[in-house]
Amino acid sequence: MTVIVVLLAAVVALLALLVVGLLRSHAEILKRLHELGAGLDDGSATASAAAVGAAGDGPRPGRDFQVMPQMPSPPEREGFGGVADLVGTGPGTGEAVSLRVTGVEHDTIVAFLSSGCTTCQRFWDAFRKPRKLALPAGTRLVVVTKGAEAESESSVAKLAPSAFTTVMSTQAFADYDVPGSPYFVQVHGPSGRVRGEGTGPDWDQVRSLLGQAGADTALADRLAGDVVPKPDADAEREARIDRELFEAGVEPGDGSLYATPSEPAADVPPAAGPDPRD
Amino acid sequence: MRLDSHGITTDLPAGWEGRIALRRSPDPAGRSGFETRSPEGVGPTGHPAEAAFPVAHLANFPLPGDRGDFGSGAVDLMTAEDALVVLAEYGPECAGTPLFSHRGLPSALRPDMFSGSALQRAIPGQAGTQIWCTVANRAFCVYVVLGRQANANRLLPQVRSTLSATRISAR
Repeated sequence: MTVIVVLLAAVVALLALLVVGLLRSHAEILKRLHELGAGLDDGSATASAAAVGAAGDGPRPGRDFQVMPQMPSPPEREGFGGVADLVGTGPGTGEAVSLRVTGVEHDTIVAFLSSGCTTCQRFWDAFRKPRKLALPAGTRLVVVTKGAEAESESSVAKLAPSAFTTVMSTQAFADYDVPGSPYFVQVHGPSGRVRGEGTGPDWDQVRSLLGQAGADTALADRLAGDVVPKPDADAEREARIDRELFEAGVEPGDGSLYATPSEPAADVPPAAGPDPRD
Repeated sequence: MRLDSHGITTDLPAGWEGRIALRRSPDPAGRSGFETRSPEGVGPTGHPAEAAFPVAHLANFPLPGDRGDFGSGAVDLMTAEDALVVLAEYGPECAGTPLFSHRGLPSALRPDMFSGSALQRAIPGQAGTQIWCTVANRAFCVYVVLGRQANANRLLPQVRSTLSATRISAR
């Protein structure tokens, strides 16, 4: 019996040493990771965040995550508010172009592309086959590149899809706060509100992204529609009843207000007559 | 929203967009491979020796990329609530001639000026009008198409507003 107890004690001691060693090793790994800037808490100043920019403490929406190589990160802002109509020139034609994006019936997907970026080439190719794009009904696709001072106009003219309007406008990149190409913004025409924005490696992913954003917006609109404002007449009636009850001595929270018909409250004052407290 | 090109400037009213471009000229050497010319040398985009003048398309609906000078390709897409204004410039030799004797852009378009027979391409329900004029010593044809003639009273204020916000400067 004694031998068994001694053996068990030895095993327990051995296991305890093993656990302590593991915990110490784990702590060492966490310490090293923390020194490398991979801490999980917001307060840890990470190397990647510091490299993005020095301004601002705490979490910064849209920037504190990694995206695929060659994919621009979303801009540093909570929500986008710079929707603007598009004014620029047509590539290779010198045509002056103005496109209405806000205050119109249709939605617009603005595709910000470049003639030089590798990823953009997939979108230029995809836009040559408009039937395969499966654009939502009532949605207009507009391709925007930077102006001739930043783009090769002849290259853009060669890439421009015939089925969609292409506008060269550096101002549009600034208006829409575009972080880089490719980038997509879907605008709700009647309100001028952004329904979705972002990027992806190919059109299927961007369409999925924008579709999800559109579904979220539609749901929010439906839910907002269920909140029916109280008519003025109802509000006035409610105020009048409250006033009369108060004048009759029934104050907010009075037990008589919650009595069921089968249990009439004993202290219900008469609707008319002198206030018993007078 | 301001649009300015080739001496045509317009401040488009809400809901309107536009394009101003020089009419496409054919390749003089015929190198494009797309030109099919008549024996007289006239191709789909005109004669190589033809001088190109600007055409402005202003509309309260999304303009397609492929449009003819007088709106073919765009009028096909018009709904009953749509309107299209075309400003097509002619050669300087036309300015001040009897056909272009009207001075300035038209400002008082009335419903009775529109007719289905004035359309460059007849589409049931649509109505159009053409007015030739001289502005800043430049000859223009102002061609207006309404998506539905019955809606003229509702659409013409927009058209008048667009034309009144349009300026032509001398060459």
